[in-house]
Parts: sequence; structure tokens; C-alpha cells
Amino acid sequence: MSSRQVDTSGFGAYAGPVLRNEAGSFIFEISDHHLNGDDRLHGGMMMTLASVVLGAVAKETAAGKSEGATVRPLSLNCDFVSAGEKGDTVEGSAEVTRATRTVLFISGELRVGPRILMTATGVYAIKGTDEK
Amino acid sequence: MRTPIPSPVTVEPPQGWTLSLLHDPFEAHVGPLFEREEEGERIFGFFADERHLDDQGAVHEGMLMTFADAFLGSAAHRGAGGKGCVTLSLQASFLAEAKAGDFIECRTHIDRTTRAIIFVSARFSVGDEDVMTATSLWKVLGER
Repeated sequence: MSSRQVDTSGFGAYAGPVLRNEAGSFIFEISDHHLNGDDRLHGGMMMTLASVVLGAVAKETAAGKSEGATVRPLSLNCDFVSAGEKGDTVEGSAEVTRATRTVLFISGELRVGPRILMTATGVYAIKGTDEK
Repeated sequence: MRTPIPSPVTVEPPQGWTLSLLHDPFEAHVGPLFEREEEGERIFGFFADERHLDDQGAVHEGMLMTFADAFLGSAAHRGAGGKGCVTLSLQASFLAEAKAGDFIECRTHIDRTTRAIIFVSARFSVGDEDVMTATSLWKVLGER
């Protein structure tokens, strides 16, 4: 299945890459530089991955409402359900809980196979719509 | 004592700050990070550079949360009397954007310590402006 890189910004690319396949899933491979001192996926990298997945869904939703609209994160809440190990392939997904004219509520999760690593919710401000 | 992991770029610490000794590969990857003592309290900082930015030129929330995880974790570890801690939950509110060249500082506060759980909050600022606040829960390993 072909896939493309999401969040190619400075930090998205530097910490990633995070790929998205044709089915819409976000894919991330845990390498040496993503680890903490206990050889597990670093919590910061796990939250970065959650922010990329939720942010991509937020961006896409905002652009779908109004062409050229962008988003800015207001709040991100991450729960660390289990640990990721080197070599694991992490799969991310997120959905829109509610979209108002100016704010998006997004929730998502990161998994390795059937095991949940992280659940996350985010609140995003929509920029560039209806702003004169 | 393990050898600290060097960061891929060299940045001079600001006056009065020292380089944080990092043992987590991902923290070294995004570093260097700095720290200093201020009235008995340890505070942390880093210079935002091009590596840390999002597609709109602001510091990426993932970088801010990585910085938070590193140093709220170190506060939790001290709060637990040196025992190992793992992150259970972390919530961040993004108050303002930080830019490349900004020196972002982190001040942590232990809100409550129980045998098994440490509650830590923190404030992140650039100069006089707060850019992020965070609250977090940490599990003290081996305690219940």
C-alpha cells in the first residue's frame, strides 16, 4: 500500500517521519533516537506522534469547512496507557468529536497491533474562517 | 554514572545556565537543553531553532510537550525521593506561540505527593510571556 508523509514541518520531519497509508491510518516506526533511557518509546515522542495525528485530522477538517483555513492547538491531553518498544510499528487514528464554527474537538489513539499505547484528546482553534 | 548522550547541534548556554546531562536518546535528539538553580528551585530552558518549528513557523506543540515530559519527569523523580517514575497523563494548554530564537523556560511545581502518585504542574515562558501551562500525573514505580 502506498503511503505519504504527514507533517513535513521542521519538527514533524525531524522527530518522525509519520506516514499515512491509503486507508487513512497514520504509521510510525520506533527507531533508536525515539527512545528513553529504558529503551522504550519516549513519552515526548509519543505525545509528538499524538499531536501530529490529531493535528492532521484537525487541519483536514478545517480545510474541508473553508478553503485555506488552518488550525492552532489550544489544549492537548495525553494518557499513557502502555509502553512502546524499539522496532514496534505504531498505528495512529483520530476522529472529530465535534466541530463548531471556530473550535474543533478531536480524539484519537495510538496502538501497536491491538494494544493501546496512548489515548489523546485535543481542542483546536480554526484560523482563517469568517475572520474579516 | 552513565555517559550523557550528546545533542546533534552545539548551542552555548546563556550566562548562568549549564548544559543538562541527558540520558534519553530522544531528549538528546531535540536538545541541547539547559538548566540552572534559581532561589533553590531548578529551572530548565532551551533555544528554539528551525528543527523545532511547525509548518506555520511556531514552535511545534510536540517539542513543547517533549520538553515538558523531560523536566516534569525530573521534578516527579525528585518528588518521589529519587525513585523511578513513569508518565500516566499530561495535559498542556497552549497560551501563545513561541518562535525560532526564543529561549523557552520551564518552572515546575509539585502539587501533591502520595506514595504511588506524584502530581506536577509547570509554566513555560519566553521572557515575561507564558506560552504553555501543563499538569501531569506520574506513577512511582513499585509503589501502590
